[in-house]
Amino acid sequence: MSSRSTRRILDRAFTGLGGFSTLLLAAALLVILVPILIKGFGAFVFRETVEHRRMLLDLYETGDRAAVETEVAAAAKAREPVYAMLGAFKKEVEALPAPERRKLKSDCKDLEKALNSLLGPAPGTTQPILLRQRYGQNRWDRAQVAIGKVLYEEAYDYSDSSQMGKKILVPRVERFRGTSLEPLFDYVRDQSKAMLLPRWIFYGGFLTHTSRDAHFFGGIRAEVLGTFYLTLGAMLFAVPMGVIAAIYLVEYARDNWLNSLIRSCVSTLAGVPSIVFGLFGLAFFINTIHVSGSKSVLAGSLTLGLLILPTLIRASEEALRAVPHTYKQAALSLGASPWKSITTVILPAALPGILTGIVISMGRAAGETAPIIFTAAVSVGQPLTLLKTLTQPTPALSWNIYNLCTEHEAVDEIRHVQYGMVFTLVLLVLLLNLSAIVIRARLSRKLRV
Amino acid sequence: MKVKRWITVCALAAAMAMNAGAEKKGNIVMDGSTTVGPIAKAFAEYYMGKYPGVNISVSESGSGNGAKSIINGTADIGNMSCAMKDSELEAAKSKGVKVMEHIVAMDGIAIVVHPGNPVAALTVEQLRKIYTGEIGNWSQLGGPNKPVVVISRDTNSGTYETFETLVMHSERMTDKTEYVGSNGAIRQRVMTTDGAIGYVGLAFTHGLKVVDIDGVTPTPESVLDKSYPIGRPLYMYTNGEPAEGTVLAEFLGLYKTSDGKKIIEEQGFIPMP
Repeated sequence: MSSRSTRRILDRAFTGLGGFSTLLLAAALLVILVPILIKGFGAFVFRETVEHRRMLLDLYETGDRAAVETEVAAAAKAREPVYAMLGAFKKEVEALPAPERRKLKSDCKDLEKALNSLLGPAPGTTQPILLRQRYGQNRWDRAQVAIGKVLYEEAYDYSDSSQMGKKILVPRVERFRGTSLEPLFDYVRDQSKAMLLPRWIFYGGFLTHTSRDAHFFGGIRAEVLGTFYLTLGAMLFAVPMGVIAAIYLVEYARDNWLNSLIRSCVSTLAGVPSIVFGLFGLAFFINTIHVSGSKSVLAGSLTLGLLILPTLIRASEEALRAVPHTYKQAALSLGASPWKSITTVILPAALPGILTGIVISMGRAAGETAPIIFTAAVSVGQPLTLLKTLTQPTPALSWNIYNLCTEHEAVDEIRHVQYGMVFTLVLLVLLLNLSAIVIRARLSRKLRV
Repeated sequence: MKVKRWITVCALAAAMAMNAGAEKKGNIVMDGSTTVGPIAKAFAEYYMGKYPGVNISVSESGSGNGAKSIINGTADIGNMSCAMKDSELEAAKSKGVKVMEHIVAMDGIAIVVHPGNPVAALTVEQLRKIYTGEIGNWSQLGGPNKPVVVISRDTNSGTYETFETLVMHSERMTDKTEYVGSNGAIRQRVMTTDGAIGYVGLAFTHGLKVVDIDGVTPTPESVLDKSYPIGRPLYMYTNGEPAEGTVLAEFLGLYKTSDGKKIIEEQGFIPMP
């Protein structure tokens, strides 16, 4: 009696725990995926300013030249009062006594910097040397931050030295009270839309445009292409080897100590951390056998191929073992040679499983970072042609996400690019996994008929 | 009539030949310091903007890797934020690599804290004590009662090497030190942590509070006249002097041109006078 009730309690507790952990997993997935998708979407769909249109026309020759030029002219007209006020103010300042003049001049310089970051270089000034300074804010969300910087100065109140200073926003207009520059701030606040002409767009160029000036402008073509080459190369190397090795292990290998050693080696290799593969790739492919003079897509592909090889062998092995013995026996009894029975009977039957393994390891190869750090990936580089993949390194999605969020000197200004890369990579891997499911379903249906 | 045609053909051929001359082609692989990274990337952008046929790739993996890739011949240019060590030079020699050093810019190592931190000046002595762990709380320096979070670069870094020599005098850093892999990572860690202190190249101080050292603010002037105590040159290393007229030679020479100097300045570093 009591043992039955205990069993029931245990049973319920187990069901509850199982349900709870499934829920937790779903919640975690939601918490991770939703922000990735929403924020990443912002790299493609956002409110672009006239500066973005000007940049696209200049650097990528996309957009209707006449329309953009009209808009640039309209925006320039709206900006005119700003530069007129600045000019008048500079003249006015010259008449002031020296200490006051110096102070106002340096204040004005700070203001001009903030304005340049918002609107791009003032008309009539020399073209800045860095590409990123040649255009104002490209995105309306970033422009609003820049408007904030024009209107307010960030300062810290250190009056209580026993505490950390408190951030305060000081209206910049305070510095220019009583001067002719005073109305500029209201003007910038009220006319910002006329000066930047924001508009919603879908920026498909994010995938097809090569980035300029270390990801400040344009898209992620080189990264997408790099990930594509690396994954494809890894598959070219790993799939034939993996499937052949699996066939050998399942169909030909005898049950002796050598083969069981090989099997356990494969299993162990599957558990080796990916950074170890990366270091091995550097030491072996690049420094020892010199497959290329520098890091290259080739070296990276080989390393990634090695990384996914054990997984592929295991998956193919499982798929081959799952083919009923009767299939093989029937083929052999009809007089087919072992090789013939493998290629015409067993392999087709195992194909859904093998393909699933292939697509899943493809997803892994696309997403791995550690193996390519030392063998293939760079933070800045051009999209490669097929021939150049043999000798040249490439940017790749996984690595450049890391690079952008840690190493880049101006991360805060280009977060959207980072989110867009994450979005693209996650979507790519999801699509690959999805196609694995579809392929599997289709093939097994076909085989059943 | 025939002569005229010949002249046109010749002129066309000559024009095409000249065009081919202007269309430079080549690949340059750069690896190394994250401090030199912004200069390298901006140089690459500038040069590839001029000659679209040239592909320049830049990795930022630390000065140590810059040296290794020159020694192993896996990069054309090794970026470093400290001079090559004797051990590295010997390794290069044994592999037959002729190490050529090019000082492209000067940089001060800025000591950075969270912008809310009221402490505005430190001495080198105090800085060393912070990093050895002797000073563990900002209240000991006239700041709030907050533990100091010590952030340092990893040992692969040239900035670490310089800091180690000029500030630590080879004393051991405290066990509580957090080691991170790049200037950008230090910047972000310090920006988001109240009690943090870190050190970065001058191009990475955006959004942080730069502390005066021995009463001197790191500026181009104070770094050049050495009144700011923690300054260092930034290097690009090559294997042998690149042959005159090659893409590599022209690219490497950018730091001597006025455009190159402007790029260095705009990125926050100090061009060589």
